[in-house]
Amino acid sequence: MELAVGLLGLAVLLADLWIAPASRRILGWGAAAVLTCVLVFGLGSLAPQSGMGFSGLYVVDPLARFFKAFFLLSGVVVLLMTVEYADQLAVGLSEFFALTLFAVTGMLFAASANDLTMMFVSLELITVTFYVLNSFQRGKLASIEAGVKYLILGALASAFMVFGIALIFGSANTTQFSELALRQRELSGSRIFLTGLTLVLVGLGFKIAAFPFHGWAPDVYQGSPAPATALLAIGSKAAGFVLLLRLLFGAVPEITAEWHRLLGALAVLSLLYGSLCAIPQRSVKRLMGYSSIANAGYLLLGVAVVSPAGSVAVLYYLGAYCFAVLAVFTVLCVMMNSSDTDDMADFAGLGMRSPVLAGVMTLALASLAGVPPLAGFIGKFLILRAVIAAGATHPGYYGLAAVAVIGAVISLYYYFGIVRMMYWGGEPLERLAISVTPGAGIALLLCVAGIVYLGIAPNGLLQLSADAVAGIQPAAASAFKPTGH
Amino acid sequence: MTPGLNHYLVVSGLLFSLGLLGVLGRRNLLIIYMGLELMLNAGNLALVSFSRFNGNLNGQVMVFFTITVAAAEVAVGLALIVALYRKRQTAHVEDLTTLKF
Repeated sequence: MELAVGLLGLAVLLADLWIAPASRRILGWGAAAVLTCVLVFGLGSLAPQSGMGFSGLYVVDPLARFFKAFFLLSGVVVLLMTVEYADQLAVGLSEFFALTLFAVTGMLFAASANDLTMMFVSLELITVTFYVLNSFQRGKLASIEAGVKYLILGALASAFMVFGIALIFGSANTTQFSELALRQRELSGSRIFLTGLTLVLVGLGFKIAAFPFHGWAPDVYQGSPAPATALLAIGSKAAGFVLLLRLLFGAVPEITAEWHRLLGALAVLSLLYGSLCAIPQRSVKRLMGYSSIANAGYLLLGVAVVSPAGSVAVLYYLGAYCFAVLAVFTVLCVMMNSSDTDDMADFAGLGMRSPVLAGVMTLALASLAGVPPLAGFIGKFLILRAVIAAGATHPGYYGLAAVAVIGAVISLYYYFGIVRMMYWGGEPLERLAISVTPGAGIALLLCVAGIVYLGIAPNGLLQLSADAVAGIQPAAASAFKPTGH
Repeated sequence: MTPGLNHYLVVSGLLFSLGLLGVLGRRNLLIIYMGLELMLNAGNLALVSFSRFNGNLNGQVMVFFTITVAAAEVAVGLALIVALYRKRQTAHVEDLTTLKF
């Protein structure tokens, strides 16, 4: 599957030679179509087997399948988004498609990583691709600056990760997650091992943009081309979380249980920091950067409860977050085609110019804010329920739940700032109606369907998430039943 | 006296700290980049020495991956810094002020 996606990327690069520059959008359509085929057929053929490959480096289990489907789906939407955004990317449209595909390949590998080496290599495939994607609009200083900032901090995170892996390897004499799990009791006393683990977590914290390692997110989100930002917000964060889940619960569950306080504190800090800083923002992409920090806080909260219910909530939340963020960025791509800025003032009167776009944007933002019938609400609800359930053993969790609720209220305020701008923001700067091309139309339809469906009928994804988590936390999985069962 | 595992680890730790100091303290992008490479190589040295003294070759394999990744990173990174320099005629971090509040 990874090979298929990687080869597709190379094929796009080759096909570029024979296609006239004016009609290179076809490549995007083709790549999206093939990726959909990989999603449908590849996943179907993968379904029955479950096992390891390459002497334990690579694992295929329900968790890996869940995330592979997730990454392929976001890959398809991002490709469609790029077709829409093509006019803004001055040169090298097909390279952008190819790089997107390479990043998705890295994410697919990350979903299956069962070894620190594999984890490092797949993360680097993602990161190095993003250095280029972020700075793709070479003519714009903001884009290059975003690329350089991501480069320096990304390289710093990988340096920490390499050193951490070295220390873990030195103390445990293995890099495989399953072997680490067997020896975690003796290792939990080794200071070298714990230092190494901390350093690796620093590297992963950078990927998910959690509190002390969040500094890059707003700048990079604002400066990068919109499709790259979307992939960064979803793919890169989800890749960080799948590795975090595998490492914390698959390899060292006992140490994780001791570290729940630290994880909880990081979660709360990211949540508050992201929410509070998002309030005064005028650039929608920058606002999404802060909102991404806040969302990393929610997701970390699900990790910090150290229970299968929490991990299930994390997976569900990621699914809901993915559709909403993709919808927001698709609308942004369509909007930026006409104006090339993402300032909130451009959204003034969008309700009049294009009721469809404004409606989709409202729906997506409402889902992000956690308004009841939508997917985001179920995600937040599951996380809160897991946190409160954990409160029975450690009362401190009630405090975390309170902060989560406060964060949700603040997020309601800043997300609805955009909604207010769209409907009651005064006269639009231009009166022209905005046309939606078929590509963006399909992407938007997909996202809206996802947001509404996951909100109304959550059981399907819940079951999938529960199956996925049962693979890495088998001991307690029987204790958990999704709602309605 | 033959150098043992601890000696190698101390050197590697020193290299790592030196690199980190360079990243945090210097203002020129190229020097920061050198610091980052120093940190990566500190990790490599630790991996190789653990590998040698534990008699497990996996660490050396990991080093090959790290070197490859670092080379790719340098290629992309230097290209980016050159692109920035062409645009702004500077490679100092204080001048990266387009994106802020």
